[in-house]
Amino acid sequence: MRLRDCAPGDRLTLRRLRVRAGERLRLLELGFVPGALLHVIARGATGGLLVGLGDARVALDGATAGALLVEPDVAR
Amino acid sequence: MALQDRAAGLRRATRATMLEKPCCDPVEDAGDVAVRGEVPRVALVGNPNVGKSTLFNALTGARQHVGNWPGKTVHVARGTWRPEPTAYTDGLTLIDLPGTYSLVPRSPDEELTRDLLVDHGLDGRPEVVVVTVDAANLARNLYFLSQVLDTGVPVVVALTMVDVARARGLKVSAESLADALGTPVVAVLPHQGQGLDDLAEAVCAMLADPRPPRPADLGSALEEETAALTSLVAVGLGERYAPRWLALALLCGEPVPTVPEGLREQAREAGRRLLPADPESAAPESAAPDSTATDSPDRPADLGELPEDDPETLVAEARYAWAHRVLAAAVDRRAADRPTLTDRVDRVLTSRWLGIPVFLAVMWGVFTATTTLAVPLQDGLQALLDGPVNRAATAVLEAVHAPGWLSGLVLNGLVGGVGQLLTFVPLMAIMFVLLALLEDSGYMARAAFVVDRVMRLIGLPGRAFLPLIVGFGCNVPALAGTRILAHRGHRLLVGMLIPYVTCSARLTVYVLLASVFFGSRAGTAVFAMYVLSILLVIGIGRLLRRVLFRDLADEPLVLELPPYRRPTARVVGMQSWQKLNAFLRTAGGVIVATVAAVWLLSAIPLGGGQGGFGKVPLEHSVFGGTARTIAPAFEPAGFGDWHSSASLITGFVAKEAVVSTMAQTYEVQQPGDNHHAGSLGTALRSTFERTSHGHTVPAVLAFMVFLLAYTPCMATLAAQRAEIGTRLTMLGTGIQLAVAWLLAVTVYQIGALLW
Repeated sequence: MRLRDCAPGDRLTLRRLRVRAGERLRLLELGFVPGALLHVIARGATGGLLVGLGDARVALDGATAGALLVEPDVAR
Repeated sequence: MALQDRAAGLRRATRATMLEKPCCDPVEDAGDVAVRGEVPRVALVGNPNVGKSTLFNALTGARQHVGNWPGKTVHVARGTWRPEPTAYTDGLTLIDLPGTYSLVPRSPDEELTRDLLVDHGLDGRPEVVVVTVDAANLARNLYFLSQVLDTGVPVVVALTMVDVARARGLKVSAESLADALGTPVVAVLPHQGQGLDDLAEAVCAMLADPRPPRPADLGSALEEETAALTSLVAVGLGERYAPRWLALALLCGEPVPTVPEGLREQAREAGRRLLPADPESAAPESAAPDSTATDSPDRPADLGELPEDDPETLVAEARYAWAHRVLAAAVDRRAADRPTLTDRVDRVLTSRWLGIPVFLAVMWGVFTATTTLAVPLQDGLQALLDGPVNRAATAVLEAVHAPGWLSGLVLNGLVGGVGQLLTFVPLMAIMFVLLALLEDSGYMARAAFVVDRVMRLIGLPGRAFLPLIVGFGCNVPALAGTRILAHRGHRLLVGMLIPYVTCSARLTVYVLLASVFFGSRAGTAVFAMYVLSILLVIGIGRLLRRVLFRDLADEPLVLELPPYRRPTARVVGMQSWQKLNAFLRTAGGVIVATVAAVWLLSAIPLGGGQGGFGKVPLEHSVFGGTARTIAPAFEPAGFGDWHSSASLITGFVAKEAVVSTMAQTYEVQQPGDNHHAGSLGTALRSTFERTSHGHTVPAVLAFMVFLLAYTPCMATLAAQRAEIGTRLTMLGTGIQLAVAWLLAVTVYQIGALLW
């Protein structure tokens, strides 16, 4: 499932990044690595997503959020 | 190969110039007694916004210097750190390297940071690096630390933001962190001066007994391949580069100059060995997302061909896995897993329903503040100049029996010019304070997120909204506002677009002309100018992007949002003052000089018998002559008359002066209220009727359009020069004049057929 389709409050595990090489490295450096735990904080006014990644808060546009594939995190 | 050789050659050349000029080190320039080479160098590195520069300031105090790194155009602050008591009586040279998220550089600034850590051939390398690590955002900061550990340079960790972390329920222990890392860790609170002595002690101990740090454990498979590659690269390139860093860089496919192709191939092979061998096991999993990705409209279709995993991802994963192991050992986060206040506020401020209204309200506040709030301050300054300053200057001039021309120049030229400049000071001060407040509070990042999609329509990031909106009040602070844009290309583009945003000074002229010529439809005409202004910003923006800024990539929004915090008066005040000071220095001279020049031109009589210097009627001055000379250029636009062109010339200096120049050219009283133009209206009507051969409406519209699109004022030019440089400012001015003239001619010619 795509991160874009998740709702505020959802707790997720990042599985794959389907983004271009340069963009991919930037996401990896910020901590968007496979296995990372995410939670959706809010959906932005124009389609973006505000996610919590550990103690950091990152805003993503809709397209990027659509390229991150996630699974519900059942452990939490 | 040739390229690599060239890169190596360039490097050698750079190094050679650096060796020839050992005086480049500004710290020693400043009369430091230390002999070069004896003062140990310590570098500060870390993520942006983790208190690195605050720490630098706290350690060096006033003993610092900001300047280009020798041979590079990268600004680096260097200073002398004199910790006490210490064996280093001459102190230490502290280098504040540009903040970066990783050692894979994306800008020349980040490249310098990486090169100083990994390239043993560079001069000025630090003996010890102090890595600032944000306790409130440990995982990402440890990721960067793991890259620094690979360089083998002795490391001391300065743990910052411990107080912020504690407020969020995170208890970070410096001792456990040091144990987990195998590296000295000192908690510091630079604002309060806490921990600085301990940091000095740790750094001096490391200098006395330098130990390479223990690299991050990336897991057995990755470590095995890395070890093999490390021993391979150590043979030929170990002298030049930090071997473990090079091995991992090659494994991730980073371009490193002077590395032979054979080694690259071996690194690629190692990378392939690390990836899951069986491609079929991944296939069923990727089938479903593939289909959704290709039918997604906002993603290019080639994404299906991207590798699911690559060595780069594996290394990043391993670094974060290590960071989380360290975290688990050093952080007590029992109290931290509840939503923070920032999260709760964000749920409201960025939400679907309230995000845009809140954003508009904030922008309205900024707009109101830069327009209405500034007015009483501007009036006060103006009254001060017109009253006491003018009286004092007059008294002095009379006392020294100054000739009439000198009094005229000083009173009308200089005092007038300074007055013009001073009216901008409150505007700029308010703008800078608001900018600093929005940035420091954390709202700016949210605003960028909220309107990202809207601004993307014209190919600009969300933040570009603010300067453009402020431009409707005044273009000058709007140009200063372009500094919120991180990307230089975006700054230049917005800086070139702002003049097309119709400011409130232009509004006064629209109102006068519209009420003289359009009667009850005056409002519609003025509104049309605003619509045209927006269309011009979008149109010219798209055009410039295609022609001048072709390489401006449409970057996706991936933006870290800082927690909300109360802005500190000290930070806001200091930042605002620095920017205001810079504005006055770069723009001040230009504005004063232009006002004085226009006064001079209007005071010098053209030919004899028209009255002496300063007593000549405007029509017969050099200024009037210039206006007459350029007037024919506006004949195709229907207003080829010296009255119009004279007001356009002063409009180049300031749009506020357009109406008063018009009045002066007709030698009538300037109307007290632009809605009731009186005798000026009558005079204007007869002029436009004559020049347009009866097509008055299109001629006036053409004049208004020209007024909208050409250079807003001298102050805008000066501010533009400060923000985007002389070359682009001149180019922009040329484009404005061309666009204004073409539009005016088009409006008149088409209009003349209709009316």
